[in-house]
Order: sequence, then structure tokens, then C-alpha cells
Amino acid sequence: MAKKHAVIIGGGIIGASCAYYLAKSGLSVTLMDKGGLCTEASKASQGHLFLWELPPVNVILARESKKLYMQLIDELDVDLEFRPTGSMSIAETPESLVSLAQTCEQLQAIGVDCEVLDRATVLRREPNLSTHITGGASFPEDAQLNPLIVTIGLVEGARKWGATIRLNTEVIGIQIDNSQTIKAVETNNGTIQTDYVVNAAGAWSGMIADMANLHLPVMPRKGILMVLDQVPQDVMNCKIIMASGYLDSLKSGNKTAVAANIQQTRGGNVLLGSSRAFAGFDKVVNPEVISEMARRCLRFFPCLKGMQVIRSWAGLRPYSPDMIPIISDTKVKGFYVASGHEGVGITMAPITGLLISQLINNQTPLLPLEPLSINRFDPEISA
Amino acid sequence: MDKHPRTYEGKTEIKIEHPDMIICRCEEVTLAQIIEAISEGARTVDEVKRRTRAGMGLCQGRTCSRLVRHLLAQHTGQNFHQIPPMTARVPVRPIALEVLASLEDDTNG
Ligand SMILES: Cc1cc2nc3c(=O)[nH]c(=O)nc-3n(C[C@H](O)[C@H](O)[C@H](O)COP(=O)(O)OP(=O)(O)OC[C@H]3O[C@@H](n4cnc5c(N)ncnc54)[C@H](O)[C@@H]3O)c2cc1C
Ligand code: FES
Repeated sequence: MAKKHAVIIGGGIIGASCAYYLAKSGLSVTLMDKGGLCTEASKASQGHLFLWELPPVNVILARESKKLYMQLIDELDVDLEFRPTGSMSIAETPESLVSLAQTCEQLQAIGVDCEVLDRATVLRREPNLSTHITGGASFPEDAQLNPLIVTIGLVEGARKWGATIRLNTEVIGIQIDNSQTIKAVETNNGTIQTDYVVNAAGAWSGMIADMANLHLPVMPRKGILMVLDQVPQDVMNCKIIMASGYLDSLKSGNKTAVAANIQQTRGGNVLLGSSRAFAGFDKVVNPEVISEMARRCLRFFPCLKGMQVIRSWAGLRPYSPDMIPIISDTKVKGFYVASGHEGVGITMAPITGLLISQLINNQTPLLPLEPLSINRFDPEISA
Repeated sequence: MDKHPRTYEGKTEIKIEHPDMIICRCEEVTLAQIIEAISEGARTVDEVKRRTRAGMGLCQGRTCSRLVRHLLAQHTGQNFHQIPPMTARVPVRPIALEVLASLEDDTNG
């Protein structure tokens, strides 16, 4: 019997991971992107493995994903630049420290390793932090890696298992037969017949779903990042330092939200985030936003004031209305969705690829898939 | 060079005395170069920037872009306030974090 064929739409980290796990499971796989590999959100991101983004379902996805990363370090032929850095969240007022402590209690109840730290302890660990801070919390399970290398490594891995990669290939239509089953994918480079389609088109995945007459409420949520010159590694002992307001910034609604998120890469450069805004597909770097990001950063690390900002850019996070990704089959037989990872797509890439492969191959999934189903956005089904 | 009409309403009038006068200190762009860009058709601060690099320096145009707007007004007969300020102040060249942090929202002029 001929091998079943899957087309994966999107050459970001999510599409790359789906291609890898599907090709490895024995399917014939074609990965396509309208541009190149890893050119959109996945390229724009920081490489923080964020193990404690609530709600709990995200924590569980992140935890399983990190385990898979530990296997990928051996499986893939590239150095993912993985570092078990841990992360620290810093409070600037007594109230935000109380709220951080409450979050930690909630996280500990679901098995997250974290510890609330008083002001003196934080300043002992991070002598360069501004002394106005009131305390913090440490998250030793968090880690860092290089998202670009991960994406390329997964694609190369998929290729080894026989996958075909088609770049500059834009999907413009999805053909479905009368029995609501996938037939083919239409692109600017011709039509390909296929048994399965995985929609991993990130911020654009809503448009791909439209082509299959499905409602997928994923929206682009812009995030800006700046990169600073190299500084000595001892400026920050913990390589990922975030404002305690970061979790609140996730719920910012329509306002532009800025929360300091400061990371030092293995090369010594400092990556400075983060912002969130709904601005359609616009990727302009807004001067007032990076200026605010610079102010926030200096509030935490005044010693960085003379550092040079080398570059800045914006990326579009695939935002899902309930901040939980969509990893799901659909009403159209053979059409699957892997999208909506917002600010944790790097963290969740491996588990997403594995779950999609288990779904398509009719295997028992590693985790319950109901909370991740597209059906939660369908009023007829979820009512 | 005084033959250009002075119908602009800017606050500072730039006395054009020396063509070698530096308008953009960061990128060392002279008055003559800016005027040349305008005579070649540049009509906005961004167009002047693309031709001369004025505004691309460390201060990201904080010092020079106002002067460039005045020169544009002076040499094209436009009203100063109709000439939009520089759009993107994205660091295209390295800029100190401190300078970036001190940028104010001066989009109104
Ligand atoms: C500033 C910033 C910082 C971040 N930091 C982190 C972090 O530290 N940790 C973390 O876990 N996550 C982080 N994220 C989130 C993470 O980057 C995203 O969740 C993740 O990259 C989403 O991956 P993706 O593959 O779904 O999307 P993308 O990488 O955007 O890929 C989607 C692809 O689909 C392609 N496509 C779209 N339409 C079509 C079409 N019609 N035909 C063919 N191809 C198409 C696009 O060209 C694109 O390449 C960050 C995001 C941003 C913006
Ligand atoms: S003076 Fe022109 S960029 Fe600084």
C-alpha cells in the first residue's frame, strides 16, 4: 500500500515539528511555506522555554514539551544551544510581590518547581539589579535555546525521514470532496493531492482555515524585540529575568502592553522584550514602544544604560482567544490544526508535533486533547 | 542661496551661511548635501534621510530632523507644520539604550 501523504502548511517552528514527527512516524510529508524556513514569528522570538504559563493545561503541555526537547538534543544533528538557565520574576512593589507569591502557590499545586524570594536574596543573586525591587520568584525548570536552530534542525531531521520541503509556495486554496474529506492543496506552484493537511500557518492560520470553510479565531498579536550588544555573562547571573507584571501583560486586551523580559544569550547579547499589541499584520517597530521597553529595562538594570541597541524587529504571535493552543482534528476529514501558541510556541513545538502525529496515526495521545480542540470555538458543538 | 521663498512658518530660521555647516552631527551630513538632496526632489524627512543618511545616526535624528524639516520648508515653500517628522525611529544604526529610553513622543513637531 502506498504511504499516506501529509501536507504541512507553514515553515515556522510548529510546522517544522509536525513535519519531523509525522515523517518519523512513516508518512510521506511535504512541508511548504509562502516564504522561507523560519522567517516569521519563530524567527522573531526569544528562546525561552516558559514552563509556567497558566492556565494549567499550558503548564502540562510545556512540561511534556521540555521532556521531548531533552530527547531532541540527542536525536537532531544540530546543537540547539540548550541551557538550563532557570528564570526569575521580579516584583517592584509590595502588592506585586504578594500577587507573585499567590501565583507561585497556584503553580506549586500543579507541580511547578518555584520559590518566592525576599528582596535581599534576589539582590544577593543579582547584584546588578536596581535596589528598588521588592522581591521575586525563581523558576529553576525554565531554560533557553535557539529557536532558529531548533526549526532548521527539525526540518533537516524531517528531510532525513524522507520529507520534501517546498519554499516560496503559497497555499491559495484547499479542495474538499462531497464527503467533507481533504482532496488537495492548491498553491501558486500547482496543486498537490493529499490525504492529510496540517494547518501550521501561525498568525495566518485563520485564513487557511477559511479556505476549508472552518472557523479558526486565531489573530496576529505583534511583539517587538530589541537586541543589545554583548555584555559580560556576569552582568546577569540568571539568564532570563522578567517583570512580575509579565503574566498580566498577556491579558492586556486592546491596549499595547509592555513588560520587561530580559534575556542574555549564550553569545552574550541581551535580548530585550516584550510588547503585545493587536495591530493586524503590521510589523512596524513603533518608536514609542521600544523607547518604553528601554525605560523598563533600565529600571531593572541601570548598569545597561550605555549599552548599544543593535537591532529591533517585530513578529506576529498566533493569538488564540483563550490563550490555549489549538491542536486538533476538524469537521473536515484529514484537515488538522496546529496553531494559536501565542507567546509559547517555541516552548510547545515538540509536544505539538508529537500530538499531531498521534492524532493522524490514530494512536492514543500522550495528553487529553479535548481542551485543545477547535470545537471549543464552534457554538453548535460547544453549546 | 537666498533666492528661495521664505513662506514657511517654522520657529527657527536657518541662516544659510556656509555650505559646509554640519546639519546631522552623527552622520556628518552638511548643509550643502541636504540642499542637494532637496534639489534632487526629496520632499520629506525620510527622503532626505535615504539620500544623505541624515537622521540615521546614533541619536536617530533627534538633533537633526527638526533642522531638516526647516530646510525642507525653506527650500520647497511648504509650511513647516505640513512636513511630517521622521517616521520610523527604529535603530537602523546602533543607539545607546539610555538615548532610546529618553526619546519623547515628539510626533507633533
Ligand atoms: C517577540 C516575540 C518573542 C517570543 N518569545 C518566545 C519565547 O521566548 N518562548 C516561546 O516559547 N515563544 C516565544 N514567542 C512565540 C513564538 O515565537 C510563536 O508562538 C511561534 O513562533 C509560532 O510558530 P508558528 O510556526 O506557529 O508561526 P510562524 O513562525 O509565524 O510560522 C507560520 C508560517 O506560515 C507561513 N504561511 C502563512 N500563510 C501561508 C500560506 N498561505 N501558504 C504557505 N505558508 C504560509 C508563514 O510564512 C510562516 O512562515 C515569541 C514571539 C514573539 C513575537
Ligand atoms: S544628528 Fe542626525 S542622526 Fe544624530
